[in-house]
Amino acid sequence: MLDNFNRFVIPNIDLLAQGLWVTVRICTIAFAMAVVIGAIACLVRLYLPGLRIVAIAYIEISRATPILVQLLWVNYVWPELFGFPKTVEWAGIIALAIQSSGYLAETFRSGIEGLPRGQVEASLAVGMSRLQTFRRIVVPQVLLVMSPSIINQLAVVVKASTLVSVIAIPDLMYDALKIVNQWFEPIEVLTSVAALYILTIFLLSAIAKWVADHFREKYGLDAHV
Amino acid sequence: MMSETLRQSLDLSIFWEYRATLAVGLLQNLYIFLASASLAMALALVISLSRLSGKMWLRAISTCYVELFRNTPEFVLLIWVYYVLPILLSRLLSTQFSLTAFVASVLGLGFAYSGFLSETIRAGIQSVPRGHIEAGVSLGMRERTILRRIVLPQALRRMLPEALSQLVSLFKATSIVSLVAVPDIMYQVSMVNVDQMQPLPLYTGAALLFCLVIITATQMIQILSDRWRRRGWA
Repeated sequence: MLDNFNRFVIPNIDLLAQGLWVTVRICTIAFAMAVVIGAIACLVRLYLPGLRIVAIAYIEISRATPILVQLLWVNYVWPELFGFPKTVEWAGIIALAIQSSGYLAETFRSGIEGLPRGQVEASLAVGMSRLQTFRRIVVPQVLLVMSPSIINQLAVVVKASTLVSVIAIPDLMYDALKIVNQWFEPIEVLTSVAALYILTIFLLSAIAKWVADHFREKYGLDAHV
Repeated sequence: MMSETLRQSLDLSIFWEYRATLAVGLLQNLYIFLASASLAMALALVISLSRLSGKMWLRAISTCYVELFRNTPEFVLLIWVYYVLPILLSRLLSTQFSLTAFVASVLGLGFAYSGFLSETIRAGIQSVPRGHIEAGVSLGMRERTILRRIVLPQALRRMLPEALSQLVSLFKATSIVSLVAVPDIMYQVSMVNVDQMQPLPLYTGAALLFCLVIITATQMIQILSDRWRRRGWA
């Protein structure tokens, strides 16, 4: 087994490293986009009654479709419908971002709704404007309380990103499957790649848990994991 | 131009035309869901009980199990079970051993979700007040009887909403079995697409179909759990 490891994993380490880089890039961009879109969807849902129904529909639909279906949908339908994304990589990023933005929007919402109403009322009473109240009172606390679940959502993005290989994005999983199909020796390559994914995701969840515990101790916040 | 493509993508008549094929596919999703859900539930019950057991080694093993499967991407697990597991088992048992795509899917998804579900069950069991167990002990019940008659019924009710939403996620995850060529709905969609070259209505239809199923399921769960909560169950 070690012999095969030396034969199939070590010589292809460059290819796998390239794949890993693509995975990291996709996950980072998708997650950043998801945070922004999620925040917008959440704010629209809470503060713009006219567009509330649109935001709810977006959140519900993005959460109710499997990531694979979204991936294929964005990849095949969007280019004809909207004229973009032009590359498969962007299709993958957009699909991952849509999926996570729905969950993040709900995370943000439960954070905002979990704040004691008295705090907002108090800050309005001392003469802060609504925007100031939001920026100084609401946002910092929501980010603090919700940071563990936000980190966990990054772990979910990494998990879901394994599927982008399906639309031929050369990520880590894609390169691993390429090596497997070349040599028909799946054990070492797939196990190593699986271990790498598991370790990464475990690390992210562990950080989330640590952050939650830390905040509970330091600020007495009941952070959500 | 744009409205034309929009009309095309929303014209789901092709979806209706192939309803028989697609329904067969959806049925595969349902079978895989039922089989892997049963497997996941059974595994999760065993694992959650051993996580709460008094024996150190049992706790250690089950904790590793939970962490392993909760942190593995479903797709990676599925591919691993499909490609690697048969070879490993063949070598271990020194006989020819093979898994069909269907069985590999059930195993992969079942293992993946047993990790999540066992945490849900554990939380349910831990939410049963200690006093109830002590009361059972003082009445002279055996440990097994206490588990069966006092702990599990209450734990089950409390964890139901959460467990059901895990199962909804499991149903969503069944869409990936198409990637190991189980002829599920997504597989059928791609086959029809190869035939008809009409990705717009086909993939939009598939996405809408999943939305419909999942949103209906979550709404029903919501209504049920509200009802249970009012009865003081959950």
